[in-house]
Amino acid sequence: MGHGSSHGHPHDHPHEHPRSEAALDQGDLAAVVDMAIPDAELSPGQVSRRQMFRRAGLLGAGLTAAGVLGTPAAASAATPRHTGGGREPRGGYLWLAGDHHIHTQHSSDGMYKVSDQVGHGAAYGLDWMVITDHGSVAHAKIGVEKVNPDIVAARRDHKETLVFQGLEWNIPGAEHGTVFVAPGRNEVSTLKEFENGYDGSVKNAGASTPQNEALAIAGLNFLADSVRRRRVDGALFLANHPSRKGLDSPHEIRGWRDAQPGIAVGMEGAPGHQAAGIPRPAGPGSGRGFYDSTPGADSWPGYPPESYKTFGGFDWMTSTVGGLWDSLLAEGKGWWITANSDAHAIHADTTVRGGGDFNADGRYDDPAYGGTLNVNAGDFWPGFYSRTHVGARSFDYLAVMEAIRQGRVWVDHGGLISALVVRARQSGTGQLGVSLGDTLHVRKGAKVEVSIEITLAGVPNWAQVVPALARVDVIQGDVTGPVTDPDAFTTPSTKVVSSYEVGKNSGTVTFTYKVGAVDRPVYVRLRGTDGKRSAPGLLGAAVDPHGPAIDVYGDADPWNDLWFYSNPIWIVPRG
Amino acid sequence: MILGLDTGTRTLTEAEHLLHDLVKALGLGEDTVACTHFVRTGDGPPHVACSLTVPHLPGPAALPDGAGTASGAGRTGPEDLAEGAALAAIAHATGTGGRLVLFPGHGALTGTLGVAEIMARSGIERVVVLAHTGDPAPDTPVVTRDFVRPQWCDGKIVLLTMPAADGRLMPAEVPDPTPCCADHG
Repeated sequence: MGHGSSHGHPHDHPHEHPRSEAALDQGDLAAVVDMAIPDAELSPGQVSRRQMFRRAGLLGAGLTAAGVLGTPAAASAATPRHTGGGREPRGGYLWLAGDHHIHTQHSSDGMYKVSDQVGHGAAYGLDWMVITDHGSVAHAKIGVEKVNPDIVAARRDHKETLVFQGLEWNIPGAEHGTVFVAPGRNEVSTLKEFENGYDGSVKNAGASTPQNEALAIAGLNFLADSVRRRRVDGALFLANHPSRKGLDSPHEIRGWRDAQPGIAVGMEGAPGHQAAGIPRPAGPGSGRGFYDSTPGADSWPGYPPESYKTFGGFDWMTSTVGGLWDSLLAEGKGWWITANSDAHAIHADTTVRGGGDFNADGRYDDPAYGGTLNVNAGDFWPGFYSRTHVGARSFDYLAVMEAIRQGRVWVDHGGLISALVVRARQSGTGQLGVSLGDTLHVRKGAKVEVSIEITLAGVPNWAQVVPALARVDVIQGDVTGPVTDPDAFTTPSTKVVSSYEVGKNSGTVTFTYKVGAVDRPVYVRLRGTDGKRSAPGLLGAAVDPHGPAIDVYGDADPWNDLWFYSNPIWIVPRG
Repeated sequence: MILGLDTGTRTLTEAEHLLHDLVKALGLGEDTVACTHFVRTGDGPPHVACSLTVPHLPGPAALPDGAGTASGAGRTGPEDLAEGAALAAIAHATGTGGRLVLFPGHGALTGTLGVAEIMARSGIERVVVLAHTGDPAPDTPVVTRDFVRPQWCDGKIVLLTMPAADGRLMPAEVPDPTPCCADHG
């Protein structure tokens, strides 16, 4: 596939990560600024960073890890350093494609072996994968341990692919989410304790109540504590298919993110199950992403009916310009998007689930050959259609986690583009600038530009055609700080500010978007499309003239409606 | 008159069963309007309350054990459930909320029908399409899947639809949504 493949030296000793400088950088800023934690409990690197903040007079002056407006020093501390060695193929980072939402025979509704999923994902070009079987009583009791040897074996057999162990958390009071930890000797015990203590299914805490919402926060606090105590080297939480059933209210999303901004960092911008909308008889003929729900008792009542549908394969929270995602970004909150397979059963595969007693064994037997194509299955193999590209400093587990945590992430469907390098910089200074997820600090009134370099597809995707990028949209909004209503899900100033026509499918295209003189904090994000299905955005053509159209139930061919989205870059003037 | 009823049920399916059972037990006619409502009362979990039109208030024997009811200013049963029943009855009476399970003509909404035909055959007063401004053309086909659940909206009975294959529409609520953690085919 088109992503860079120079991984350096894939190492085969994931259990022995020293706490290097890089690990500290991705580590817990919250611990550094949390004065409840004495200096003695910090690592030397963390003490050094705390002293830097102390000298700058920032500690106790409202420095938190909560948002770009509050963390100029933190943001600059996170500015990429150059590691040298020539392993910087795209704007200073290794862009590693991955998928954090994958099921196996250890899920009650799954069927494949870990090695099936990892083997296919690796073949389809993924550099990292997270195995996320559903949280459940059987999984918590048996599955977490049983899957681990399979994952360890996959790490050994596929050294070109980083394989994390995670789980799909039934978030108390809300939807599902990916939770995963850095590999290490405590990965199983940490996940197991987390699932037994905080899974909404295990704890019978699914209903939308204040108590259950508090249990979700407690779960995130447990993960943060596990990192702080060095039980695991890292933990991340990402909300999956956030709009599917209206269960993730805006205040819950804000609550997760505000409670643990180093753990709860984002959501699936696009759900998996992208084959679900393929028309019958070739496909399931359902809603794309299996987004075929309507409100239930636990749904947040404020969500409009269209929020339950996908638009260009993307979740309403992401696809609506000026919508929920933008309302978080306008607060200055780093809340990043990803795209995944949610692979349970693969469209047009020939295998069937093995037998066995899931509840007794915590897994099904290995799948068997079924002899016919399963066209009712709605999923693609990991890497086959949806990809999450992260800009990592190196090819290792902690670097992938750091890239996700920093929002150095863009996503695509169907191999629409091969590479994306975005840099915001002060115009005319020759600066390299900052990348996705990062913050550019400039003097008030300084002119800023965003350079966009896109490597077009050039090679066929897994539908055996070379996609053609038709248009790239620049979306910009003001960063206006915290909202008074934690359930806000729109923001008024965000809109499409510039569009570039492309219309070819090989080579490289570059654009420069002139932000102009910056007198207030803003953010800029990108979106691109093959241009096959567009409609005015939900908040009007003045906000988004050519946005993704609502997907047609039973007739949504995912290969004929391709989009990519980037996470934002923040631009914050001083003074 | 409108009767609100709340048994604390958590799912639409259970609430619909409750309504069908009640209509049968009370011998109510084709013109009954029966709705489900999402309510949040007291310390309990969010749940589904019901409302329906009745010619006169049924006696306690005709109602499910432990249910809360509300009609006008009258309330019976546990306080939380009576409050849920009242919220349902008020939303129904004012046409501000509620999802209609039974309504005049609902039995005639089967197969594929034009937008105008749906409104002619039933109490549905307007058909709208998600993410589209402007109402659909009167002859636009709607694949009902024999499952039509309009909503009260600003005093009108409105059917939300979404685009379906071949330029047709279908109700935005499908009869068989994919459950969580269920087989995905």
